[in-house]
Amino acid sequence: MFDKSKIGQSFPPFTLEVERGKIRELALAIGDDNPIYQSKENAQAAGYPDVPLYPTSPTTFAFWGNKNMVDQLASLGINLMRVLHGEEEYEYLAPIYPGDILTGAMRLVDAKSRHTQGGSMDILNLEIDYTNQHDTLVLKARQVVVVRE
Amino acid sequence: MTIDAQIPVKLYYEDVQIGDTIPKLIKSPISHLQLVRYAGASGDFNPLHTDPKIGELVGIGGIIGHGMLIMGFVGQMLSDYVGPTALRKFDVRFKGMTRLDDIITCTGTITEKYEVDGEARIAGRVHAADQNDEVKVAGRFVAALSRRT
Repeated sequence: MFDKSKIGQSFPPFTLEVERGKIRELALAIGDDNPIYQSKENAQAAGYPDVPLYPTSPTTFAFWGNKNMVDQLASLGINLMRVLHGEEEYEYLAPIYPGDILTGAMRLVDAKSRHTQGGSMDILNLEIDYTNQHDTLVLKARQVVVVRE
Repeated sequence: MTIDAQIPVKLYYEDVQIGDTIPKLIKSPISHLQLVRYAGASGDFNPLHTDPKIGELVGIGGIIGHGMLIMGFVGQMLSDYVGPTALRKFDVRFKGMTRLDDIITCTGTITEKYEVDGEARIAGRVHAADQNDEVKVAGRFVAALSRRT
């Protein structure tokens, strides 16, 4: 069972550099061969200053940018083997390009326990706000994770 | 590096009407190799997605695909449709687990056109479903488009 005293808890911020190679790698893993994600030259030929962010690139910020994320989730009492992803949401507030330095701060916004005939589950709402090197808020990521007991 | 794939044609606000459908995207069957590759690209190394033994152990019966891979498929459809830097908001709910060999089709419909903060925006609903029409992901997006004038 989840410890309700953790609601509202913020985790230490993490910093990452937006990397062209990670955008390209993500696009290729998804099976998207759009050339603008493959090189700066292609992106510029299409009128972009550099390789644009992939729509789901923020997931790489969370997993690669925050090397402590797994431990941070574990510290909430979450068994990662029993986690299901419930929802994911991005608000893209300002342009993000390779070379930008982002700082992310994760917060446990809310958590509920739900009991059903099949057992009980915890539902956690997490938010990560990302600011860039100019202290501009550029991205908000929200996530709902479901932990089956 | 260059790739010979086509850069999609730019979409303008005037080109879109409420009720329009987004060109659907049919993906190749999900393979174990793709999940391993996606794990590396995204940084999500939860063994539920790569190790069949773990899936059996926790009672979900084998490997399940990363939900974020399916959101990535929907992101590919949106990137092809509105362009890579047009998205302002993108959120999904994960409705079902995906399995190896599932063939995912992404679809979407335009629900709104409006102006805010001097931007011409469209909003719509998106879905990803498997070969049996079982919905895996249901979501929404908002994108900012240029005007022709």
